[in-house]
Amino acid sequence: MMADIVNLLSNTFLSMTPLLLAAIGEVIAEKSGVVNIGLEGIFLITALTSTVATFYTNDPLIGLTIGVIIGLLSGVLHGFISVYLRGDQIIAGVGFNSFAYGLSILTLIFLWGDYSSSPKIPKINPWSVEIAGTNMVIPQLLVVALIVAFASWYILEKTGLGLKLRACGEDPRAAEAMGVNVSKTRFYATVIGAGLAGLGGAYLSIGWLGSFTRTISAGRGFIALADVAFANWNPLIAILGAFVFGFADASGTYLPIMLQKITGTQFTAETYLFLTIPYLTTLIFVAAIMKKVKMPRALGKPYIKE
Amino acid sequence: MESLRAKKTEYITGTIEVSLSALTGFLIAGVILELMGYNALNIFNIMITGGVSDLSHLAGKSAPLVMTGLAFSIPLMAGVFNIGGESQLYMGALAGLVGTFFTGSIPIGLTLGFIAGAFWGWLMAALRVYRGINEVITAIMLNWTAYYFIIYVIIKYLPNPEKPYMSVQLSPHEMFSMTTAFWLSVLGALVAYYILYYTDLGYKMRVSGYNPKTALYSGYNPDKSILFSMALGGGLAGFGGALLVIGESSAIDTTMSSLYGLGFTGIGVGLLGRNNPIGIIFSALFFADLIIGGQWVELETGAPPYVSDTITGIIIIALSAPYAYRKLVQLYRLRRR
Repeated sequence: MMADIVNLLSNTFLSMTPLLLAAIGEVIAEKSGVVNIGLEGIFLITALTSTVATFYTNDPLIGLTIGVIIGLLSGVLHGFISVYLRGDQIIAGVGFNSFAYGLSILTLIFLWGDYSSSPKIPKINPWSVEIAGTNMVIPQLLVVALIVAFASWYILEKTGLGLKLRACGEDPRAAEAMGVNVSKTRFYATVIGAGLAGLGGAYLSIGWLGSFTRTISAGRGFIALADVAFANWNPLIAILGAFVFGFADASGTYLPIMLQKITGTQFTAETYLFLTIPYLTTLIFVAAIMKKVKMPRALGKPYIKE
Repeated sequence: MESLRAKKTEYITGTIEVSLSALTGFLIAGVILELMGYNALNIFNIMITGGVSDLSHLAGKSAPLVMTGLAFSIPLMAGVFNIGGESQLYMGALAGLVGTFFTGSIPIGLTLGFIAGAFWGWLMAALRVYRGINEVITAIMLNWTAYYFIIYVIIKYLPNPEKPYMSVQLSPHEMFSMTTAFWLSVLGALVAYYILYYTDLGYKMRVSGYNPKTALYSGYNPDKSILFSMALGGGLAGFGGALLVIGESSAIDTTMSSLYGLGFTGIGVGLLGRNNPIGIIFSALFFADLIIGGQWVELETGAPPYVSDTITGIIIIALSAPYAYRKLVQLYRLRRR
């Protein structure tokens, strides 16, 4: 029993890390007024590029760096379309997801001739602490994500820079009158947000799975988006949300294993039913809390200077 | 006179927008293909001609896309983003298969397909209207839920004893041709056109989408339009799923490969068709051509069929910023002056 709890917590830590990183990034972007629904695509494309980089250099840290750079570049694309071309942010994000999906599989086939997964690559081994005879796993990037969560909460809520950024998302006209360059602020917030999502995507392959598979993201980008709403755009509450959703994700795969052990039966079709747990949990939690949250007022609306 | 001129300008900008977006899609995909060492022009040539070589196949392939395109565009007119066409189509395909398989009747299968999709779409709208959850998040969560749920149902209750990884199969007399599927989808588009532009419900939907406050002041509730548009859109996507099973695939496989992606492509279909039901028929034919062509490309050059996904994505991104095209047209006019 104790071993099961430790295992479940380990899996939760592994699963919540990318969710938290992407959610914090999205909070930063959305607080400035830009919604980036392309998190899923960023996860896919950075998980892939970091795998490729690690495959050729054998150094997961280089892979991680490349992942962040590609994340930042996707942010440049989305920021440019959203801020300077006044594009529809939702449509641009949806398109990016589709593009990233096609491109990542195309690259997978081109490099390794495989339709579903890449070869194994060296990954960053997480810290491991022995508790009750079982190893509890703590990914280094989870600690990084927690630090980023606290830092971004502090910057957003307690500094002048944060105030300016939030003004762009609440009332861009007032922000402009205050002397803030709305376009520039929104652009950089989007780029930084996407960079954090890129770190999360890189973690998926080189921090967790140790390879790239076409279903590596499996809706996680959208779970991170749900976490933003769940957290009421507060990076600190996003930690709790990521834990809850990460726990649901871990349960989806771990529960059937546990139940099979206890009952002694063999699941076949039922395994698929358990896989719906993370998605339904996310939906139920957000449904329970959503009426009480307040999103940035100018979210998703292009700012047109007079 | 003035309004006629305005309309003409709008059509011209629209055409420019759509063609430039498609061109951008091919251009960027071409660069990527060249970087990977393929001959891009050759691949595009095969892609486009491959699909047109068998017109009834092309038409049949486009049938579910017409429906998922409408499933995206109709709610968009009421101001909601329906990214859930994917799972609305899944649910319709399952209901269509179950309905026709157990009763032997095609109309029952089609009706159940519509109802299943409509319920799934309504559920997404209800979660937004009554609980305030962003419909995009709901849609993706329900897409994945439906994905695993259907695999579960097929393995558990509808397995094919002769073919593992397949559901039970419709016999040929329980199916119709791909051409019939296409004409039924055209009929669906015409009905949608009629509802949107010639009925009270459609008018209210369009007003709510254009400006929810105006709708409120005129005395009707924009939330109702949202619920109705999502049920209608979902129903059409579900109908498309039933068309696919009854007109083409006859069964659903446990990797969902016959269904996957049709809903997402529908977003591109709707946008490229400029949310006009008639435009959507043509844009569905275009995307069906890309999909079939993608398979031809694989056969003839060994390049993966996912080129079409990549192009679709770029086209959607390119369509997200109409302002950019308007600016281009303005610049061009200034130069000519």
